[in-house]
Amino acid sequence: MTAAAQQKKPEPSIQDRIQQEVQRAIQRSVKGVEYFASAAPVVGTTAKDVLHSRGTMKLYHYRPLADEIYRVPILIVMATTNRGYVLDMVPGQSLIEFLLKRGFDIYMLDWTAPRPEERGLKFEDYVLDFIPDCVRRVQQDSGETDVSVIGYCFGGVLSLLYASTHADGPLKNLVCFTTPIDFRQMKLFQNFSDRRYFDVDRLVDSIGNVPPEMIFQSFEMLRPASRSIGQIQLWENMWNDEFVKSYRIFDRWAQDTLPLAGEYFRQTTKDLMWDNKLYERTMTVGGRRADISRIKVPILHAVAEHDHIVPYDAAKPLIATVGSDDKEEVILKGGHISLVAGPNAIKRLWPKLDSWLSERST
Amino acid sequence: MADKGTDPVQMWHSFLADMEKQVNSFSNQAMQSEEFSRVMGQMTGASAGAKKAFGDFMERYLAAMNLPSRSELIDLGERLHHIEGRLNDIMSLLQRVHTDVASADGTGGAPRPPRTKRPPSQAGGPP
Repeated sequence: MTAAAQQKKPEPSIQDRIQQEVQRAIQRSVKGVEYFASAAPVVGTTAKDVLHSRGTMKLYHYRPLADEIYRVPILIVMATTNRGYVLDMVPGQSLIEFLLKRGFDIYMLDWTAPRPEERGLKFEDYVLDFIPDCVRRVQQDSGETDVSVIGYCFGGVLSLLYASTHADGPLKNLVCFTTPIDFRQMKLFQNFSDRRYFDVDRLVDSIGNVPPEMIFQSFEMLRPASRSIGQIQLWENMWNDEFVKSYRIFDRWAQDTLPLAGEYFRQTTKDLMWDNKLYERTMTVGGRRADISRIKVPILHAVAEHDHIVPYDAAKPLIATVGSDDKEEVILKGGHISLVAGPNAIKRLWPKLDSWLSERST
Repeated sequence: MADKGTDPVQMWHSFLADMEKQVNSFSNQAMQSEEFSRVMGQMTGASAGAKKAFGDFMERYLAAMNLPSRSELIDLGERLHHIEGRLNDIMSLLQRVHTDVASADGTGGAPRPPRTKRPPSQAGGPP
């Protein structure tokens, strides 16, 4: 329908609206029963192979969907708190599928719940072992020396730590999505972990790995009303299959939170939340300096205008601090999740990512 | 005709959106107080303490019942983890050997697409 025709479309009368609402109420009741009876939607269906698996770490290679691909493979480093299928929800709403069709060779470092015996995992394991191990395997599998890395949220923090401790290569490009640098600006998380009252040592020493419920609740507390309002909206839109499907896949992902390894959580709290070492450029990992000003590779940082988890002020200093000449920050409409997945991402982030990477992947 | 100002459904949606914003904003303000940090810290500490005390009690109980405790199962898990790791290493080694043999005798799996793609700006064609 053209814009002119849309403008001419008359507003429905009160009778029409009542009739429409009655129909929707009937459909809600019918579909509401279906909702509770049906299985959760299947996600992460893009064809892939497990290239390597070790404890909490899993390396996937997605099967190419183009006849010709760019030379440089891409390794996506997922956030340690959530599952990687947020980037591969369903066909047509999958960043992975989009990138594959645009001719990129995609690998993903995804995480499973750390086991109790992995409670001792630290930044050193993630930054000096897991990521370099995956990079090596990507090089081996693709036959290419150069590798680009994309990090989402805390996956971005780990990617920055990796890039700054491996400044001599083989990183070709670095892309970060909503990556915090200045942890003082994460005001609510700062308050949750106030060092005067939050005894992280006692917590980790008592329970080992931090349970997923605690992680999930801390995210939920940032927007305490949103879950209830979301459920009201779900009920209202129960007649709308597309809305319900989208709600279910995002809700499933949001609740599919991972536990965090105890020592890793302790380090995150002390080094980043309390001492803000990444921003202060005093961070070290396994005795190696992790100063992000040492990063010289081309870097793109995509941030969301309405991010309630990583506020813009926390992400802003990244581009100013890295030492790259070729660096760019894009501020896009949307929130922490809608930046990377859903209709907003399809329209905004994905094309930007495609054009930025394509120029730097030959 | 039901314009947006008088449409009860629209009004309900606006009300919901406003309420969500206000409750979130009010709660966030409350959560920024020192009092909130103190209470939350105490609750987290108490919850962790209770969990540890319960865990210790269960360990003694399981020992009395001659059943394996959680830490013993974790030790067992750790050993399985190491075995799994070694199996993964063997799998990787076998895959490498298989790839080398397959590429040597030309019986490798489906060929991968060539890494020759150029960006639209250099290819000259439509993006």
